[in-house]
Amino acid sequence: MSAGAAQLRAVPVTGSAAALISFDEVGLDFGVRRIIHRLSFALRPGEIVSVVGPSGCGKTTLLRLVTGLLRPTRGAVHRDGRPIDGPARDVAIVFQDYANALLPWRSVAGNVSLALEAAGLPSAQRPARIAALLAKVGLAPHADKFPRQLSGGMQQRLQIARCLAQEPAILLMDEPFGALDAMTRQDLQDEMLRLVRESGTTVLFITHDLDEAIYLSDTVIALRANPGEASSLARTFPVHLPRPRQQLATREAPEFLRLRRQAYDYLLETH
Amino acid sequence: MAGALAARPALARWRGCVVPLLALLACELAWRAHPMQSDAVAPPSAVLRALVVALGDGSLARATAQTLLASLGGLLLGAGGGLLAGVLLGLSRPAAASAGLLIELLRPLPSVALIPVAMLVFGFGYRLEIAVIGFAVFFPMLLLAHAAVRTVPARLTEVSAVLGLSLTAHVRKIVLPAALPRLFVALRLCVGIALVVAVTTEIASNPQGLGYALLSAQQSLAPDTMLAVLLWVGCIGWGANAGLLAVERRCFGAMQVGGGAP
Repeated sequence: MSAGAAQLRAVPVTGSAAALISFDEVGLDFGVRRIIHRLSFALRPGEIVSVVGPSGCGKTTLLRLVTGLLRPTRGAVHRDGRPIDGPARDVAIVFQDYANALLPWRSVAGNVSLALEAAGLPSAQRPARIAALLAKVGLAPHADKFPRQLSGGMQQRLQIARCLAQEPAILLMDEPFGALDAMTRQDLQDEMLRLVRESGTTVLFITHDLDEAIYLSDTVIALRANPGEASSLARTFPVHLPRPRQQLATREAPEFLRLRRQAYDYLLETH
Repeated sequence: MAGALAARPALARWRGCVVPLLALLACELAWRAHPMQSDAVAPPSAVLRALVVALGDGSLARATAQTLLASLGGLLLGAGGGLLAGVLLGLSRPAAASAGLLIELLRPLPSVALIPVAMLVFGFGYRLEIAVIGFAVFFPMLLLAHAAVRTVPARLTEVSAVLGLSLTAHVRKIVLPAALPRLFVALRLCVGIALVVAVTTEIASNPQGLGYALLSAQQSLAPDTMLAVLLWVGCIGWGANAGLLAVERRCFGAMQVGGGAP
């Protein structure tokens, strides 16, 4: 622990010293195309941050930078003050296309098991952990079914359960509820908030839905497409809404409506 | 209801037999009407009698065992090697790029053209036949396994990377299961090739197995035995394919119903 603290002091970190993840002047080009430019922001432990912006503004790319699957062209992404150099077992990612992200030949329990196997958990301890995780996301009665036998919402719950099996310190979510119907989406939003609050997980949430971003987050970050010489970070909206959030009460709160208006106006202006 | 549903495919299957049986009957009747002495053909009844004799005296069983054993050996060696190489090339683009030219140069070589070379190296017997069959099935398996691995969804590879699976775990738990339906099709293809090449090698040079039985019946001017062996070879090929198809349906049928796997 003290070694980690020493490391923190040794490496200069922009923003808060308590940042779990910090983007420091990050830039990324795909060939000659500039996707992200001079992006700086920090993610504090336990925080939920949403990223919104037009398509092609590098939202998904941003997540891939945190997983370490992609390296920045300029600047650095730090975790606990150290540059991220590859995937870590406690960084989980929920993909939007749950159907492709689940293994169709494994049962519901088998899909959760994959994460436990990757973590090297002895097989004797797996069934209990799997049962607990499936109960958490409400899939306990479906443990023996296969993904194709589940509805879209249930498949996404399964993917979330697999991510929770990694006991993530950081949960990355790439438009996870975008393909679901409105009711299922609201259910899953609340369930996600509950699960994340229980475990104190830090969340970086990508969405194109402004309402969803405000409803879930402590901070909403708006990105700019084709940044050119400007920073990719177009604007930051702090969200001061009480928790736990409630689908009706929160969405009717004057502060919610004010933020929504502000963010919409801003995004319209910049298009 | 269930009876009607079950009866229809059964009826259709029997309907398929009508034309061949009629053709055989016509041959038999034509032969009876105009009997002739021939070194090339024999009436269906004589062929059937020869088949019963060959099955009875164990010669056909021994030849079948020899051909199947050689095919199996060739498949294990050739298709096994092809699978390994194909998976490797599918996982690594640099490996695929550097092996590409060699594969394209060797692949068009007809495997039976290797018989003279293999004969010098191995002499007669199983080793000759296994080597030729192995060469014949190596390349189809390699190319199909390569393609099968390349079709594993990129998303699954990403999942595997984020979960931190080791390379062997990634291959064992993600790549092979995802590619399995396609690999099985490749295996079915290779089994067909193996049987063809086995019989060809036996006819061309190797004095064992069904191909040699066919050849020696021909050379001893016994068309009934020759046609009986031919019929038997056809049955073996059909049976092998039908067996593999049944296994395939059993293993992957459920997976394809939901469209979960391509």
